Amino acid sequence: MIKTEHVTKVYKDTVVALEDVSIEVQKSEFVFVVGPSGSGKSTFIRLLLREEEPSRGKIFVAGKNIANLSAWKIPYLRRNIGTVFQDFKLLPDKTVFENVGFALEVIGKPRHVIDRRVPEILELVGLGGKLNNYPEELSGGEQQRVSVARAFVNRPLILLADEPTGNLDPTTSVEIMKLLDRINRTGTTVIMATHDNAIVDAMRRRVIELDEGKVVRDQARGVYGYGA
Amino acid sequence: MARRSGYFLRETALALRRNALVTFAAISTVFISLFLLGGALLVERQVRLMTGEWASKVEVSVFLRDDASPEEVEALGRRISEIPEVEEVQFEDRAEAYANFRELFRDNPALVENVDPEAMPQSYRIKLVAPEEFPVIRARLAGDPAIDQIRDEQALLKKLLAVTRVLRTGVIAVAAIMLIAAMGLIGNTVRMAVFARRKEIAIMKLVGATNWFIRVPFLMEGMVEGMIGGVAAVLAIFAMKFLFIDPLRGQIAFVPSWIDTPEILVTVPILIGAGILIAAVASLLAMRRFLEV
Repeated sequence: MIKTEHVTKVYKDTVVALEDVSIEVQKSEFVFVVGPSGSGKSTFIRLLLREEEPSRGKIFVAGKNIANLSAWKIPYLRRNIGTVFQDFKLLPDKTVFENVGFALEVIGKPRHVIDRRVPEILELVGLGGKLNNYPEELSGGEQQRVSVARAFVNRPLILLADEPTGNLDPTTSVEIMKLLDRINRTGTTVIMATHDNAIVDAMRRRVIELDEGKVVRDQARGVYGYGA
Repeated sequence: MARRSGYFLRETALALRRNALVTFAAISTVFISLFLLGGALLVERQVRLMTGEWASKVEVSVFLRDDASPEEVEALGRRISEIPEVEEVQFEDRAEAYANFRELFRDNPALVENVDPEAMPQSYRIKLVAPEEFPVIRARLAGDPAIDQIRDEQALLKKLLAVTRVLRTGVIAVAAIMLIAAMGLIGNTVRMAVFARRKEIAIMKLVGATNWFIRVPFLMEGMVEGMIGGVAAVLAIFAMKFLFIDPLRGQIAFVPSWIDTPEILVTVPILIGAGILIAAVASLLAMRRFLEV
């Protein structure tokens, strides 16, 4: 599903964010990308979303090299990738329903599809009763569920999560992880960047560890601990 | 597209309301520049109208001495018609001259009553092959005993044309500068709209909205501003017609015909089209700078 070949990303010719990263992620895998701040996790996510181009190397998503994708095709790449962030990125003046519906509306889905799919997905994430609430009326965990619902409402092949539990307490984080696990079980490939060791240790999934832009560990059913 | 037009309309209306003041500044600048442009176009049409009317009339008047004998008058007539630069020559006797005089000053009966028909001069009215041949005629006819005065009837028109040409160029230059300012202001409203919606834009990019889908509301916002400015300019021009041109109609002797609704209607698509076009260009330029998609 995702494959990188010798990917290097250098900023301003001097700062090396990623160096010679070659990994392969199969369809419906669940992968943690771990490492300290500045290790290159976020750059890795941004490259997969084609928010940036690699300085060298190839990145294949669903069989296509996206390293030199023409600009007008980028939106279509992103329709196959759902994204969840630490700061939820919800629109405060839109209701829960509108926030999720917005993701479908702006890619041109017809009204009847929105009206059917949005309540369905919100039911799935456990917010069936809060369709008309505004984000500020929800707890952090609930807001992140809305954001997961938005990422998943278009049934993407891949879900990218960048520190999705970074702003949440441990109990709520576990709830979000259960949700991501459920989504993963539907066949969606999940890649999650995190430095939440408790979660990584509890899930026992594949762990790719980055340090100063290099892959220092790639372990099936791994734990967070350095060099473990 | 129908399902999307709802979205675009909503977003455009919202953006226009959100930056009311900047939007107002942009629209009024478009309005002023297009109003000036429309004014210049109409002055041009008015001048052309007058030129056409005058050019078809007499170009040179040869007034005769009161004491010229009929033989002298006839001889002069032959001389004139033999000049190759003359296209047409007509004799105007005292009665005709008086009739023309009365027609020209019909709004001033006191003046007409005080003039004796016998005091009107006889004249030859000459139409030239080319209006600029006047000096040739003057030279050819110089010294003829029957002639009192030779007058270039187009001299005033030529001066008027020169003045209006300068005026028109000036107005168009001002309109052009205003249009550039208007483009800047429209660009600024687009920039503010982009800024106000940066969160939505970020999410739209993330979930895979196409660039055009993201751009259209901003483009429409700019174009609506341009269109409102253009419509306002058209309305103002019609207001000027009712307030200034209509009352003058028939009041000024040497301007027998004035531009009217058909001439103004011609400028309507030009002004509104120009408003929309410059707004679209300004919006697209602003998006290139402020909206990286």
